[in-house]
Amino acid sequence: MAATVDPPRTQTPTPASAPDEPGLERAAEQAESRRGFLIGLPSLLYLVVLFALPLVIVVVYSFATRSRTGRTILADWNLSSYARLFDPLVLEIGLRSLWLALLTTVISLVVGYPFAYYLATRSPRVRGVLLVLVMIPFWSNFLIRTYAWRVILGRDGPFVRFLEPILGTEGQLLFTPFAVVVGLVYGYLPFMILPLYATLERLDFSLVEAARDLHATGWQAFWRVTWPLSRPGVVAGSILVFIPSFGAYVTPEILGGGRTTMIGSYVVRQFLSARDWPFGSALSVAILAVMLVAAVVYFRTRDREA
Amino acid sequence: MDDHQLAGTLDAGPLAAKTPVLDTVTTEVAAVSGIEVDAPLPAVRLQGVTKRFPGGRNHDPVVAVDDLDLDIRDGEFFSLLGPSGCGKTTTLRMIAGFEYPSAGSLQIFGQEVGLEPPNKRPVNTVFQSYALFPHMTVAKNIAFGLEMQQLPVDEIDRRVAEVIELVQLQGREGRRPKQLSGGQQQRVALARALVNHPKVLLLDEPLGALDLKLRQAMQLELKRIQEQVGITFVYVTHDQEEALTMSDRIAVMDGGRLLQVGDPEEIYDRPRTRFVADFIGDTNLLIAEVLDADTARLYDGTVVRVPTGAPAGSTVTLAVRPEKLGLWHADAERDLRLDALTGTIRRVTFLGNAINYEVVAGERAPVELVVRQGNTPGIEHFADGERVRVRWLPGSVAVLED
Repeated sequence: MAATVDPPRTQTPTPASAPDEPGLERAAEQAESRRGFLIGLPSLLYLVVLFALPLVIVVVYSFATRSRTGRTILADWNLSSYARLFDPLVLEIGLRSLWLALLTTVISLVVGYPFAYYLATRSPRVRGVLLVLVMIPFWSNFLIRTYAWRVILGRDGPFVRFLEPILGTEGQLLFTPFAVVVGLVYGYLPFMILPLYATLERLDFSLVEAARDLHATGWQAFWRVTWPLSRPGVVAGSILVFIPSFGAYVTPEILGGGRTTMIGSYVVRQFLSARDWPFGSALSVAILAVMLVAAVVYFRTRDREA
Repeated sequence: MDDHQLAGTLDAGPLAAKTPVLDTVTTEVAAVSGIEVDAPLPAVRLQGVTKRFPGGRNHDPVVAVDDLDLDIRDGEFFSLLGPSGCGKTTTLRMIAGFEYPSAGSLQIFGQEVGLEPPNKRPVNTVFQSYALFPHMTVAKNIAFGLEMQQLPVDEIDRRVAEVIELVQLQGREGRRPKQLSGGQQQRVALARALVNHPKVLLLDEPLGALDLKLRQAMQLELKRIQEQVGITFVYVTHDQEEALTMSDRIAVMDGGRLLQVGDPEEIYDRPRTRFVADFIGDTNLLIAEVLDADTARLYDGTVVRVPTGAPAGSTVTLAVRPEKLGLWHADAERDLRLDALTGTIRRVTFLGNAINYEVVAGERAPVELVVRQGNTPGIEHFADGERVRVRWLPGSVAVLED
């Protein structure tokens, strides 16, 4: 909420009906901005105490030292935790996370775009039903849904049996990067569909007609008109899928089975089993930096389109 | 066409249009209506074109265009005129290819195109909302159609420059549509369509979003451009004044049907139906009883010279425009060349360039007339309650069919 006090606008000529006394106008404006601050105060406190403060703690810890017994010593501030980010093992996990997150994003886009387009071109009633169908999975627990994939992709599951001629009798899908990506796409697809739908729903389809009228084929009309105009939705959806996929913990833990470690699991390991809080904090800050870059890309694209 | 009567058989309609059976019918219709074989090919020919949309009340299909027969000549400025929902836009969209006809034949210069996608038709459209591509510059918008046709770059550049000059948009090539005024956007939309040298240009109420002054200027401009490029224009509008000003011929539509086709004078002076008389301009509708082949009598007893062609004793509706009536003092000398009616002024309305007088004649079954006198110097002004004689030339009265 607007917590800043507006500069008094005594310079602007006041209309005849406004009070002539500049002090009155200023007092009224200040009262208004005070009220705005009070309304925003609860959310502000919530964010500061539960979001900003923990973040600061994480950043502070990332410069701390780990004692031999695994305690964090809040002294001898140094950058050694950050230096360890360039350790080959860490780099491998980081790059794998990046790769799996990108793959998840691309697959979500390829799967989600046609659906969002279909959704946006239906009658309002059909749209409502389909939107609810998109959101229904959210109503049950994510952990349980991910465990369900363990059954589906498991050794006795339908996929493995169906693919037996290709995979061979010893083949497996579970605990592979494939399973992780399937789980991530499944989990985050709605985050792709919803912003895409929001953009496509606002699209003026007479522009597509105009393109067809100007001798474009269906494909040309799509690539020259629909796609560029839906890019804000593509970017928003991609960021919304990429960010949680990159930091994912539950899905790679359950479906990757410790063999396809992603950076989220690695962070958890630092805090719980390795008891290296400074290094875990440094990793978290690094993840945050990657996500921040993604978010900046998003906002810059959005502002340019607007 | 009985097999199209059921809901849900829309897909069968356009397919049927291509069967040779219908082609035979087409030739027969041509023979019956006496169209000469070597007559110039019409730019657009609609024969029995019908469009039904699914899902009206009770899921019955909605008939938007009903069995339309229409020839649009090469090079003419043709207007489809009617109130909203009359089927004019649907007709235009079928010519453009955005809707496929449910039945009938649609030809552009003799080529059956009813089922062709829009990109394969030699027509281009100026959209009501302009539909300019917001992410492209003016020049890119205009070049779009040529790029899609994969013309050489230097030809694209030449033709874009040419058309930009035609619509007077020099210096705006690099702008985005959003940075242009409504009138300029309108010109870009026009240029974007014209640059493709379409055989027929379709315009869907293109001036609707402009304010009055600009609209009037653009009307003249459009007419100038049409004369300059010599392309057939099919113009959809609900504005009768616009249609009268610009068109070579006008088709008046209502309820999906064609009511009358003719040049502006014909439509205005000799409306055939009550709807046409009423929709276009102001009109006096008079009920009359037919006396003989050449005369009829109004309720107040006035005998009017009008060739109705209806049997004696039947009633007909006559239409006469307010400005075709002259107003004189009741005791003025009779002019036997004119028909006349004597009555009393009930209301005077000053319009600026003209004055409207509402005149009532007769007692038991009064006949009401609006007379419009131009506000010209020296014209006599009448007052409320004055006894007057309304006179007109016998030829200025039209006989309506309904």
